Amino acid sequence: MLNETARGSKVLKILLVDDDVEFTEVACHIIEFLGHDICTANSLKEAYEWLENNTFDHIFLDFMLPDGSGLHLIDYLKKSQHDPYITLITGHPLVKGLLAGLCGPKVNYIAKPLQREDLEKALSRESTPSQPKKSNSNLSNKHFGCLIGESEAMQEMYKMISRIALTKANVMLLGESGVGKELVAQAIHAASNTKTPLVATNCGALAKDLIASELFGHEKGAFTGAISKKDGVFLRAGNGTLFLDEITEMPIDMQPNLLRVLETNRVTPLGGTKEIEVNCRVISASNRSIEEIAQSKVLREDIYFRLAVFPINIPPLRKRKDDIPLLAAAFLNELNEEYHRHYQWSAEQIQRLTDYDWPGNIREMRHAIHRAFIMADPEGTTLELPKDFRSPFSSISEKQHSLSAGRTIEDVERELIKVTLEDVDGNKSHAAKMLGISIKTLYNRLHAYGDFEE
Amino acid sequence: MSSQHNDNEANESNLNQLIHDARGPLNRISMQAEMIKLVLESGMPIDKAVDAANKIITSCQECSQTLEQLSKTSKS
Repeated sequence: MLNETARGSKVLKILLVDDDVEFTEVACHIIEFLGHDICTANSLKEAYEWLENNTFDHIFLDFMLPDGSGLHLIDYLKKSQHDPYITLITGHPLVKGLLAGLCGPKVNYIAKPLQREDLEKALSRESTPSQPKKSNSNLSNKHFGCLIGESEAMQEMYKMISRIALTKANVMLLGESGVGKELVAQAIHAASNTKTPLVATNCGALAKDLIASELFGHEKGAFTGAISKKDGVFLRAGNGTLFLDEITEMPIDMQPNLLRVLETNRVTPLGGTKEIEVNCRVISASNRSIEEIAQSKVLREDIYFRLAVFPINIPPLRKRKDDIPLLAAAFLNELNEEYHRHYQWSAEQIQRLTDYDWPGNIREMRHAIHRAFIMADPEGTTLELPKDFRSPFSSISEKQHSLSAGRTIEDVERELIKVTLEDVDGNKSHAAKMLGISIKTLYNRLHAYGDFEE
Repeated sequence: MSSQHNDNEANESNLNQLIHDARGPLNRISMQAEMIKLVLESGMPIDKAVDAANKIITSCQECSQTLEQLSKTSKS
């Protein structure tokens, strides 16, 4: 699931409480356009219902509600575990003075009539302060404002991105986990010069029942819980870009609906009767290879061809090691700016980073640098890299790839027996069962390898 | 004296309520106008802009009625 809006700020979960239904509907559209998730309540009762099972980052709260005052909800929140930012909304001249007295670090107010800017300003309080300021020097090293690297593989990709940007072709990004597929999607979007923000959703993170609603939207009352109308991501993307991450994790029986939209450029929201034209570029992404997608049949062939008009393979970090020093410098620079430190890399540290294969790619390296930053002496200027970069995941991945040409069957068999015994804490009868051999055969093998110990 | 004071207070309260009532449709007009800007900027379907414009017209009429009431109240 993505947790940043296209503008780089945090995606917030917002509750809007106001009895003016037309206002809540239109505010819903605008706040969703800003890249946040929003729920609406038209009374205190509905707001309490939302708060029973959900937590929110920010609550917009009408002061006068049909079943009480917004202040009742503030009291309720103070007594509960919730600690959201609260923006009181008022249109009553007498109330303004009263509200000013209530304001504090997490409570403020805005007066009707509202503008989009008022909402943005209120939300910017918690979505931006944690964002480190990016220096110009940092930005200038980034291609399309977000990609780092000067290796041949990256130069080739920059060229492809520039060409794709001139068209509306759908793009499929393929690459191992952690290579930066989302950033490449952002780069294509930035190069396309569209005014609409990039709209992104993760097909693997959505409950099956909610996929259609997320993609195509729904009308009010379309299903239980659809308390207001919602635009799907296709509609929200407008003329811009829709990024569908982990597309191969979408249930196969949901894919015909997606195919229809891709073929006709029209969506029908759930519970709706009217088709709506859509005109966005779809960038999809998967961490499976083309071969795996074809063999495992996780994606219908017709959808693949619609989505992968232009497939891009993003190289793993081990295939562009020349970029590691640049990436390491950029990540350290960001951390230094955020925490006001002045750490530097030594040549030996950069060499160690470059020598490692990073099976988890850029994400893994970034986290390793962050850990080293945390462990560094606050009074010093150098980082403390761990002795071993390998994570439990990378060792599993290495183990999975230990089967390679050139090894003998005896070698592989011996390793399999060893791994199985480790897995069952040395219990030989369990191991024999798992291996599908008799316990006698297992003992014979262990004797033959000289590994047998009574 | 006290009765006049009470009348003034009631008038002021009524006036404030009407101002509050006028801000409702004004708020909807403002937000629907933002919606139209958003449709034009982002290339959303044009019928969303038409829908928003129709809602603005309705809210303008509502606002006009409130202003008429406000005018009567201030004269009384």
